[in-house]
Amino acid sequence: MFGRQLRHELLKLFARKRTYIGFGAFVGLQVLILALLQLPRARHAFDKLLTANGYWPEDYYGGLTLAMLIIEFSIFLMGALYLALVGGDVVAKEIEDGTMRMVLSRPISRLRLLTIKWLACAIYTAVLMVYLGITSLLAGVLYRGRLGQLFVFVPMENLFAVFPTTDGLGRYAMAIGMLAVVMQIITALAFMFSCCKMKPAAATILTLTVMFTDFVLRNVPFFQSFKHYFITHHTASWVRVYHDVIPWWGIGESVVYLAALAATFWVVGAMAFCLRDFKS
Amino acid sequence: MITIRGVSKRFGSRLAVADLTLTVPRGIVFGLLGHNGAGKSTLIGMLLGQVIPDTGELRINGWNVFTHRRRALERVGAIFETPAFYEYLSGWRNLLIFCEYTAPARPKRIQEVVRLVGLEARIHDPVSTYSHGMRQRLALAQALLPEPELLILDEPSEGLDPEGIHEMRNLILRLNQEWGLTILFSSHLLSEVQQLCSELAVMREGRLLFAGDWRTVDAQRQWLCIRVDRQAEAEEALLAAGLVDEFEYDGRARLAPGADIAWVAEWLLARGFRVVALHPIERTLEDFYLELIHPGGGTT
Repeated sequence: MFGRQLRHELLKLFARKRTYIGFGAFVGLQVLILALLQLPRARHAFDKLLTANGYWPEDYYGGLTLAMLIIEFSIFLMGALYLALVGGDVVAKEIEDGTMRMVLSRPISRLRLLTIKWLACAIYTAVLMVYLGITSLLAGVLYRGRLGQLFVFVPMENLFAVFPTTDGLGRYAMAIGMLAVVMQIITALAFMFSCCKMKPAAATILTLTVMFTDFVLRNVPFFQSFKHYFITHHTASWVRVYHDVIPWWGIGESVVYLAALAATFWVVGAMAFCLRDFKS
Repeated sequence: MITIRGVSKRFGSRLAVADLTLTVPRGIVFGLLGHNGAGKSTLIGMLLGQVIPDTGELRINGWNVFTHRRRALERVGAIFETPAFYEYLSGWRNLLIFCEYTAPARPKRIQEVVRLVGLEARIHDPVSTYSHGMRQRLALAQALLPEPELLILDEPSEGLDPEGIHEMRNLILRLNQEWGLTILFSSHLLSEVQQLCSELAVMREGRLLFAGDWRTVDAQRQWLCIRVDRQAEAEEALLAAGLVDEFEYDGRARLAPGADIAWVAEWLLARGFRVVALHPIERTLEDFYLELIHPGGGTT
């Protein structure tokens, strides 16, 4: 019964045209990022960075490196927005449309309903991240015609790494897996707002505001010693799998921190939802 | 079937339902009447566990709606004035989704219900292409799917054309008479309630003004239409003579206890009034309702 209800919840999410417009938009963004990376200035900066460190740029300018670059920009530009949109919609939109009232005239408990919706959102987030990972890699490989070796440069994480193709592919898969886990926090935050008495758009905007504020404050030097309190510090743990020696303990800490935060969001959202009155 | 005891609900400073106690017997069509903001929808919301009461308890089939939600609502179907569906999905898919919240849907049962509401031809089309009437029929189908014993209909005729209203009325009667469903029916359309409901409750500003069979209230008191040549003079004289208790508009009069139409006729003729019309009139639910809502005569 639970499985069937979850299946229908997923169907509701995936049967929307908007879902596919979003998926299509990501592909569009990937093509745009690829095009921008071809600009002479971008290519020059890339080549300069690698040659300055004693690497041959042509070895690394392949599908894997491009996929990683695409992912970094896609997540920053659209990933958070899209997850906030879906998470912010999932409860609030149903309330706004009136379908929630129809559902709640059934003998399903509010908590069970929320659990189903939460799980559907979590699955959706994971699917979106995996989709991003695959399409980015495909876009990079199609463009360069080969996987190439992997080069990763993330200044904020003090990360400069190169990997041979096979190792790079494995790290890339791990990074996508991590991304599917850490990005759940954005969906969870949006979900919590969605459970409160507000419009879907307000839930989305609030989520983005929190994430943006968190990101800005985290980068303010004054807050450096408090950085482990910031959500974006922990969501960035997905790139830490590219360190030579993977800091599993630190990654684990981040995942636990995010899981605890997500659980808090769930409890707050569930309380708001369970104590609400639903009227036309 | 439904037992409501001492239920109150306040939204901010506004008292939506005040200490309401009501019982709806099994097997009848029970009307819920009241103007906008009277508390009908809040009461229905509380019955379905969507609105949390401040005090009191609501039971369906003996089960408390809030502490035993599944038991209380597993044989309940509901329709709201503006039924909402997942527009981008077909009617069939919507039925499957809503049904799964109660119990797994059997395709045969869905087909049966779809046929009953007359939606076979369009059931696989997206709901976004449905007319208001078709949405109402789909809403009825989703309400009937869990094989309910109780149907809660909140303004089901809202926005329907006369033919749609007629169809809906016949369907409700059929469901009550042939399927034995108890139906709680909230509507602004007094004529609908009069034709459908054997008992009703009238609410005003969250308070229960009346509950029961309205036809038995004052049933021994007869209403007449009295029209004579000198109307104003006759009305005054009939009231003074104690034959009539009150006059309303257009010569409508309520006979005093013990008086009858023959006495009135004799009395008028004996005093030289030329009688234009004198006949008993059936008291409508509208008369009853307005009397209850505006005691003392005003109709606005």
